Amino acid sequence: MNNAIEVSQLRKEFKSYSSRTGLKGAFRDLLTRNYKIVPAVNDINFTVKQGEMVAYIGENGAGKSTTIKMLTGILEPTSGKLRVNGMNPHREREKFTRTIGVVFGQRSQLWWDIAVQESFRLLKKVYKVSDEQYNEHMGHVIKTLDIGPLLDKPVRKLSLGQRMRCELAAALIHNPPLLFLDEPTIGLDVLVKLKIREFLKEINEKYNTTILLTTHDLGDIEALCNRVVMLDEGKIVYDGELDALKNNWAEEKEIHFQFMNHVNLSELNSLPLQFSTDWEYDEKNQTYIANIKGEDENISQLISAVVSHFKIKDVKIHETSIEEIVRNIYEKGMN
Amino acid sequence: MFYVTMFFQYMSQYMKTRLEYRADLVVEMISDLLNQTVNLVFILVVFGHTQFLSGWSRDEIIFIYGFFLIPFALFSSFFNIWDFNERYIVKGEMDRILTRPIHSLFQVILERMELESLFGVVTGLVIVMYAGTSLNLSINWYDPFLFILFAIGGALAYAAIFIAIASIGFWSDAKTSIMPMMYNIGNYGRYPVDIYNKVIRFLLTWVLPFAFVGVYPAAYFLGKKEWYAFSFATPLIGIIFFMLAILIWNKGVRKYRGAGN
Ligand SMILES: Nc1ncnc2c1ncn2[C@@H]1O[C@H](COP(=O)(O)OP(=O)(O)O)[C@@H](O)[C@H]1O
Ligand SMILES: [Mg+2]
Repeated sequence: MNNAIEVSQLRKEFKSYSSRTGLKGAFRDLLTRNYKIVPAVNDINFTVKQGEMVAYIGENGAGKSTTIKMLTGILEPTSGKLRVNGMNPHREREKFTRTIGVVFGQRSQLWWDIAVQESFRLLKKVYKVSDEQYNEHMGHVIKTLDIGPLLDKPVRKLSLGQRMRCELAAALIHNPPLLFLDEPTIGLDVLVKLKIREFLKEINEKYNTTILLTTHDLGDIEALCNRVVMLDEGKIVYDGELDALKNNWAEEKEIHFQFMNHVNLSELNSLPLQFSTDWEYDEKNQTYIANIKGEDENISQLISAVVSHFKIKDVKIHETSIEEIVRNIYEKGMN
Repeated sequence: MFYVTMFFQYMSQYMKTRLEYRADLVVEMISDLLNQTVNLVFILVVFGHTQFLSGWSRDEIIFIYGFFLIPFALFSSFFNIWDFNERYIVKGEMDRILTRPIHSLFQVILERMELESLFGVVTGLVIVMYAGTSLNLSINWYDPFLFILFAIGGALAYAAIFIAIASIGFWSDAKTSIMPMMYNIGNYGRYPVDIYNKVIRFLLTWVLPFAFVGVYPAAYFLGKKEWYAFSFATPLIGIIFFMLAILIWNKGVRKYRGAGN
């Protein structure tokens, strides 16, 4: 089996109810409610090969979670064809769910009131994992994610970062060949994010696990995924390499400087550099902003040039967010 | 077999959690017992004046009540999913259930079971034995087996009604007050149905078969021959309604929309 996911003309519609105004409207609502049919996922097509790591991105409400819920067998599609791990997720749900792992950042997959290791023990039985398999595989997972000390605590007492690491471990108890992650890093601090990224990369290398993840963090994608599928209002607007996406639509990088002493814009503009730099002054924050294009190399060249000429108080590199890329695609059009 | 294993796995987890909160457990049992006593006193007061109600004696009514408690306890222990809509549909817990390789209804039952309600079986047996003794009922060797069969049939009928009603949540997320209403209607099943008018009797037999939880099966042990057909139909009715309820549930799962944001 080469393709982990095959999707064609996949569609999901929701009824969205609206209420009429006034007393008369309220009475009419009792009898028949007004509704519009909204396509949350609008006839999309894509294929994911075994072992690929794909980022599924888009603004809030684009239809990412709805797609994932169809791919995992939670929702039945309105129309279209869907094969995941060679099965129809909703029709063959009980057999199918043995072959996938799922993590929703917004909602716990673990039992709230019982200790993490009790959850693991129960899930081990649910997925019919043998003791040897469990000890070999989970021992490593628990160590890498550093959740050993959390195992005897109930889930409700964990912090978000702790919980997410446990959720990830729980999704991998049966070592599934395909993993769905819906905003797994939302609200997490940088160290936990790094740990999770590293772990996912390792799992992918070790077991050739296919991973489809949604995120709002460009850092997650840069660390993990070569391929990006971008969704907007239920339609796929981009499917390709991350680099191509960034080169075409990520605006120039912004680097923010604050200096110890007063500095003139003209001094900054006359710094000896091999590439063009646009300088602006942000009066409110007393910050000088350099806009540069091109290679990441340029960033370090710029910073070292600035540092060797002026005393600086603070430097910040401003990453283009996914939202900004989406906005740029809108403004400049897809070509 | 896998389902039996999983049942015991969840049960042992349940016991572990429950035993940590022993005080709650005792309070719950006492309140159950109190509830049952109130119901019994009600019957005694009503029958303090009249010894007979449409041809049923006081002890017979008490026997029916005692019998009713047994399938009701089985139902409460395993199918008490009155908060299904709120918990699993509105809050989206069903998402989690649907990503696991066990039938969704079975998972919900495993998660929501309340084994302490099984205590009602003991209360029921005590009442049945008391009433049976004062009625001088004769017991055949096969009666205990029929008793178990009828109790399970009744519990299935009761469960079927609640599963079907919980399934409504898959189609409509509007809050309904059907659940509490059902608990009230359920109580009608523990009195002889011939004290009601024809329409209600028909409803309690063929639409919401609560009569099969109390009067009908109990009538057999009381030797009421005119009701035997209904008595022996109890397991069948239980299984048929239960299967219908599962069909409705399975259809409902396909309509599940997930919690919107
Ligand atoms: N259960 C639901 N009922 C009605 N509308 C829904 C439901 N779930 C999602 N939607 C709608 O579908 C669209 C896509 O939602 P979603 O897939 O959650 O987006 P994303 O995950 O990309 O933020 C949104 O407009 C949302 O309001
Ligand atoms: Mg989402």
